[in-house]
Amino acid sequence: MKYLCATVIVLSVSAGVFLPHATNAGSTPPLELTILSSRTLSGTAGEYVTVEGQVKNTGQVTLNDITTYLSLVDQENKLPVDLEDWSAEKGLHFDTIAPGQSLSLIWKIHFIKAGSYSLIIVATAAGSEVPQVSPITHFQVAIKHNLNPGNILPVAFGTPFGVAFLLSLLGYKRRKEVEA
Amino acid sequence: MPSIFNLIWSKEIREGLYTWKGLVWLVIASILFSFTSYLLLTNKELSLLDQAELLWLLSKIILVVALLIVTIDASMVIATEFEKETAESLFLAPLSIRDFILGKFLASFTLWLALFIVAVPYMLATSAGSHLAPAFLGYVLLLGSLGVIGFIFFIFALSLLYRSSKSTLTTSLMLLLAFTAPALFSSTLKTATVATTISKINPIDNIFSSLDNVLVDFQTTLSQNWQFLFPLIVFCLVTFVFLSFSISVFRRQGIIRNE
Repeated sequence: MKYLCATVIVLSVSAGVFLPHATNAGSTPPLELTILSSRTLSGTAGEYVTVEGQVKNTGQVTLNDITTYLSLVDQENKLPVDLEDWSAEKGLHFDTIAPGQSLSLIWKIHFIKAGSYSLIIVATAAGSEVPQVSPITHFQVAIKHNLNPGNILPVAFGTPFGVAFLLSLLGYKRRKEVEA
Repeated sequence: MPSIFNLIWSKEIREGLYTWKGLVWLVIASILFSFTSYLLLTNKELSLLDQAELLWLLSKIILVVALLIVTIDASMVIATEFEKETAESLFLAPLSIRDFILGKFLASFTLWLALFIVAVPYMLATSAGSHLAPAFLGYVLLLGSLGVIGFIFFIFALSLLYRSSKSTLTTSLMLLLAFTAPALFSSTLKTATVATTISKINPIDNIFSSLDNVLVDFQTTLSQNWQFLFPLIVFCLVTFVFLSFSISVFRRQGIIRNE
């Protein structure tokens, strides 16, 4: 009986301590993420586009340590994409956002590889275990067709042929000298 | 009347430059430069690479190819005279070891100049539109020449001591690899004291650092690159002293060495 009482007390205390946290862990921060730029951005590999968004505190209290970052998914390969080359700025951090305050988010995106991609902005805030996400922005990146980058083609083809021709001439001259 | 070293030089050039098989490496080198330039310019068009970095990468490729070719040629050019036993008949003529070395040196150095001439169209095409073309060409020629001279002196010294092309080639290639591999490390891997010291005396590292200084940081004057040129000049002097030592050993031992 004594052990039963102790167990009940421990369980009650545990529930009292951990339940509020368990409730917080399941909630998203009261942030609203809006995409201000076009929801579909198209271009050719090598081009830059700008993704503009807005983060707004829709709650009643000031939010601390807000981090917003991008998540890009290759729709053809169904794989997340490493943003290393796509964006110089990986994430935007704000110390606080007051209730009702809106802050703008701007990312310069470099189209690296042709394909279809989907991009979302993710926001996390201190005290929330579940992030808030924005609507999806679609990228349509076309392949860059340029067979002569930097006008190198005449040099790239011409030089080996020129060297080979010169060597043939030298060889011919050498043979003539030997025959003479 | 042409001097003796001139005759040796022209003999080597005729042997090398007048045959297809002797110069096919030049065509392959030019195909390599074509492929590299095309690839680098494609990346530049995709904005993955800026022009300064492109020129820096291309110059490194040109110089590594040049050093490799010259290392292989210089390893053979003297040692084979001993292996084919033609050295004896050569030295029966009124030929000094100085003329012999100078003629062979000019022959190996000519290969570097031939490769540089082949690389010029690529350097001009890739540096088009920038103000870097004169500095690019000038520094590749200057740094490449200093590196090549140092390596030729060292390899000739080895050839006179070893008198075997296989041993000379193996040692020289290992030395080239030993100098090149640390030079390719990123700057963050060279922060330790030992690494910094090795980097300062490594000729290949100094060549790459000077090119970086010129092409990426736009420090184009000789005084701004003196910190890299000075170790290269010291490298050439040290290898020249080593060559002089090998020549004196060779003179002492004679053409036919009693092993």
